[in-house]
Amino acid sequence: MAELNETIHQTVRLRIMAALVTLGPSEEVDFSYLRDLLEVTDGNLGAHLRKLEEAGYIAVNKIFVERKPRTFVAATAAGRKVFQEHVAALESIIKSK
Amino acid sequence: MNVSPSEAEEALATIQTMMKKTRRAISSSGAYVLLIVWGVIWLLGFLGSQFLPKETASFAWMVLDITGGILSAVLGIRMNRGVRRSAPTTSGKRIAIFWLLLFFYCIAAVAVSWPVDGKQLAMYIILFVTVGWVAMGLLLSFTSVWWGLAMTVLALVGYFLLPDIFYILMGILGGGGMIALGFYIRYKW
Repeated sequence: MAELNETIHQTVRLRIMAALVTLGPSEEVDFSYLRDLLEVTDGNLGAHLRKLEEAGYIAVNKIFVERKPRTFVAATAAGRKVFQEHVAALESIIKSK
Repeated sequence: MNVSPSEAEEALATIQTMMKKTRRAISSSGAYVLLIVWGVIWLLGFLGSQFLPKETASFAWMVLDITGGILSAVLGIRMNRGVRRSAPTTSGKRIAIFWLLLFFYCIAAVAVSWPVDGKQLAMYIILFVTVGWVAMGLLLSFTSVWWGLAMTVLALVGYFLLPDIFYILMGILGGGGMIALGFYIRYKW
């Protein structure tokens, strides 16, 4: 049976994961683009990304584009799996109502 | 961890909203703008071909195509700003090469058939574009194949059965159809 994931269930982290799993497996999103999409502050997004990265659910890739530092974020395979399990667990709670 | 059914419903709604917002913002953001831009170009260009003198209409098409090309390039650059592929694939390059080759084949076909009148030239462009569209649809998303086939049938019906209103038909139905599809993707996708 699918299990709920406490790390992912927090609202901002749930929205981050929902956005990241919507991308293709080889795609990653720019930090500022993700911030605007989620309508959160830099600090807030940074803190939640760190938690997800520590859990191994996302990968943070810092690179230079045209000599400017940029941060890209992507869901890992483990993150995608855990997210799907979390969604399945939420659906089973509703069905058992 | 305890989650009540109402909390679960709320969480699932949050996920669905976010996924829809992301798809709209990242995946389809450029597609609908490009469709609207080229729909407006078709509409204005074909209406010009129907109602303006030949030289003025040709000049209008040239200005519209250059404007469309510049806008497409700018939109293409903006589209790729937020999302990148961490593992580059060759499919994007191959698609670009395919369209470039199709463009040269179209020029070659027109050159072989020259001289052609305005309607024949328009049909060459429409047929080559729709061949590319259907091929992309078959490879990437099957649903868009029907739009390409419908556009081909529309163009052929206009060319052979309604030659007097061919340009106006292509402008309103072809250009208008692209604009409508663009707005449909924007608001319903």
